[in-house]
Amino acid sequence: MAETRTIVALPITPRLGAVMRLRLFLILGVLIMWEATAASGLLFRDVVPSSVTVVRALVRLLIDPDFWGNFGVTAGEVLAALAIGATAGLAAGLLLGASRFLGRAYEPYLNSLAPTPKIIFFPVMIMAFGVYAGSKVAMGALSAFFPVALSTAGGMREVDAALVKVGRSFRLSTWQMVTKIYLPAIRVPVLNGMRLGFGVAVIGVLLAETKLSNQGLGYLVMQAYARFDMPQMYAILLVVFAVAVALNAGLGRLTEPRHRRT
Amino acid sequence: MSISRADHAPALVGAATLLGLFALLELAIRAGLVDRYVVPPPSDVVASFARIVTEEDIPHRFAQTALEGLGAAVLIALVGIPAGLLLYRHMVLRVAVQSWVAALAAAPLVLAYPLFLVIFGRSAMTIVMMGFISGVAPVTLKTLEGLSATRRVLIDVGRSLKLTPAQQFRLVLLPAAVPTIFVGLRLGLVFALINIVGLEFLINFGGLGQLINELAERYDLAGTYAAIAFVVLVSVLFFLALERTERWLRPGR
Amino acid sequence: MSDPTVVPWPRPVSAARPESVLTVDDILVRFQTRDASVTAVDRMTFDVRHGEFISVIGPSGCGKSTLFNVIGGLITPTSGLVTVAGEPIRGPHPAIGMVFQEESTFPWRTVLDNVAFPLEVRGVSRRVRLEKARDVVAMVGLTGFEGHYPSELSGGMRQRVSIARTLASEPKILLMDEPFAALDEQTRLLLGDKVLQIQQTLKQTTLLITHSITEAVQLSDRVVVMSYRPGRLKRIVDIDLPHPRTSEIMTSDAFGHYVAEIWGDLRDEASRGMAEAEASRGART
Repeated sequence: MAETRTIVALPITPRLGAVMRLRLFLILGVLIMWEATAASGLLFRDVVPSSVTVVRALVRLLIDPDFWGNFGVTAGEVLAALAIGATAGLAAGLLLGASRFLGRAYEPYLNSLAPTPKIIFFPVMIMAFGVYAGSKVAMGALSAFFPVALSTAGGMREVDAALVKVGRSFRLSTWQMVTKIYLPAIRVPVLNGMRLGFGVAVIGVLLAETKLSNQGLGYLVMQAYARFDMPQMYAILLVVFAVAVALNAGLGRLTEPRHRRT
Repeated sequence: MSISRADHAPALVGAATLLGLFALLELAIRAGLVDRYVVPPPSDVVASFARIVTEEDIPHRFAQTALEGLGAAVLIALVGIPAGLLLYRHMVLRVAVQSWVAALAAAPLVLAYPLFLVIFGRSAMTIVMMGFISGVAPVTLKTLEGLSATRRVLIDVGRSLKLTPAQQFRLVLLPAAVPTIFVGLRLGLVFALINIVGLEFLINFGGLGQLINELAERYDLAGTYAAIAFVVLVSVLFFLALERTERWLRPGR
Repeated sequence: MSDPTVVPWPRPVSAARPESVLTVDDILVRFQTRDASVTAVDRMTFDVRHGEFISVIGPSGCGKSTLFNVIGGLITPTSGLVTVAGEPIRGPHPAIGMVFQEESTFPWRTVLDNVAFPLEVRGVSRRVRLEKARDVVAMVGLTGFEGHYPSELSGGMRQRVSIARTLASEPKILLMDEPFAALDEQTRLLLGDKVLQIQQTLKQTTLLITHSITEAVQLSDRVVVMSYRPGRLKRIVDIDLPHPRTSEIMTSDAFGHYVAEIWGDLRDEASRGMAEAEASRGART
């Protein structure tokens, strides 16, 4: 068995050169198509500006302190939302996952609410937390809560029964059981839940900002749209996407199996 | 199979808790402990159901949101699954673009909606495309993951019986990948629905999202909550349908 | 149109002399790893006679599974030939039916549909293939479970489904790679009896790869003993125990004698294998 594994595993790494060539080809292809569309004027009024214009707008954006101010507002809102939503989600998930009874009593409700778009609660959030950052944080926290709670509860049920028995046999207290057995055992599902939670929290905060606010990245995009400043809009999108993708990849890195330090 | 009384207990306790909370809320609001302009009394919400169904044309709006969701879901499946298959088949392509697709899945594409507005106008098309774009990447990634994770021995069974590549795909790879593909579809649909309803709400167009926006602007809070219940219903229906489809496509767990 | 691959069941017993239906001729398998080339199977030669039950035994890491994949046509050997009825095989051969060590039932098919699978891909009509599958399911003792999914069965039952699925394709040679490895000892003994009973009813030529000495002696007419890496032919032992045989044979003196004899051959090989595996693990850390 072990032998067959090695023989199939061998040819599975293609040459790096071919990969790089294909990537270059794809990037060039997209750029050329983009420029062609920009030059043709098929899409009216600068919807597709030349990439040179976009790069220029990007540079202008990156040196604009006002942009970084708004960036900070959104980043702060998202982080606060994630902290609140993930903590609450973790607590709820631990509780629901630890008790079969509680899980069966309350999880169906969580399951139905989880895929519901949370933006519909925004009017309510405005009523409860005001028109400023509070309602945005609440939006994000509400969004992040569900994936973390459900993923944690699911992870709790998957914990190896043998580990729990080991903990019991050493007469661990409830707190020790949570911190020494359960939390390390559910690390990966919790992190996966947080990754998803981060994704939906960002969407929640940004949607809320575009709907009603006077600061933040969502607000900035709406400003650019109102001025029909497409290059600036693309520039903001590029920065936001880059940051979100990097953070998501960072969270993903944490879920990879641990290796010994060499 | 006999269902004992004990099996119902958790569900009963859950429902009882919910009703209890509503009752408590009602009392708190009546006693003036909770601001009724933030949380309307549950009895008002229940009473407003009939009103919004008749006066706000709920059936039509419900159908519109559901159809936008369905359109996006069909597009997501029609593009996302074959894309995953393409990446599975072509090694070099997979190594080259898998991380790009993952990036697409992680990017908050919703911020680009003004762009869609400019291209497709303030129409259902914008909403469906937004839903599609934000939900397609997870499906592609999960399809690829599911196909790649097909157990070696099942593929060997197929090889030992000399299956053609088409048979190998239809009879072994695809059924083996179905559960993972559906994990992707569920994920994609969550993102699609967030964007669809969110966009209806933001651009004040179309179905239930717009209704919530309008009711909120009129400070009709009881109506807003009642309308929220219908959005929850849409998403519950979608996920039930997805579960049914999966069980039909892939029996035997 | 009659399908030539579907023969009435049970198959007519040909009054055959012990002639070889499969030959393993000078098989060499060498793998290229990142920093070395490893010889997994080194010049193995033996033949399988019509209707016999033959086992290949060796310590873990001796290349048994590689040999299994070569005979099944899933791995092309570096050199050497496997021939079926004189014809060299290239890739999987319809005359050889493989049963894998790992759980290999299709979880999305019922027991009956799993067993009918090889006939389905061959284009046998639904009615015929289900009828045939029912017979084979009965043969492995799973009547009453036709509509169950594998997730509803025990490990031993699932392995019987795998065996039934392979039998349904009516292979000339049944090739099995440690099919009972994941099962508990008692289930393994009972399943061994079942396989032996089927083998004798059908006069099914069977090649079993195993690491269990008792299993090899209990079931086989001949046992091929392999050495630790590189996997070489060490010896072929004729098991001259009476037929029909069941697991009760294990109490006989002759049985113990054969087991001791083969263990004598394997002992050094196995301890060498263990020492090398431990050394390489130590080197890696």
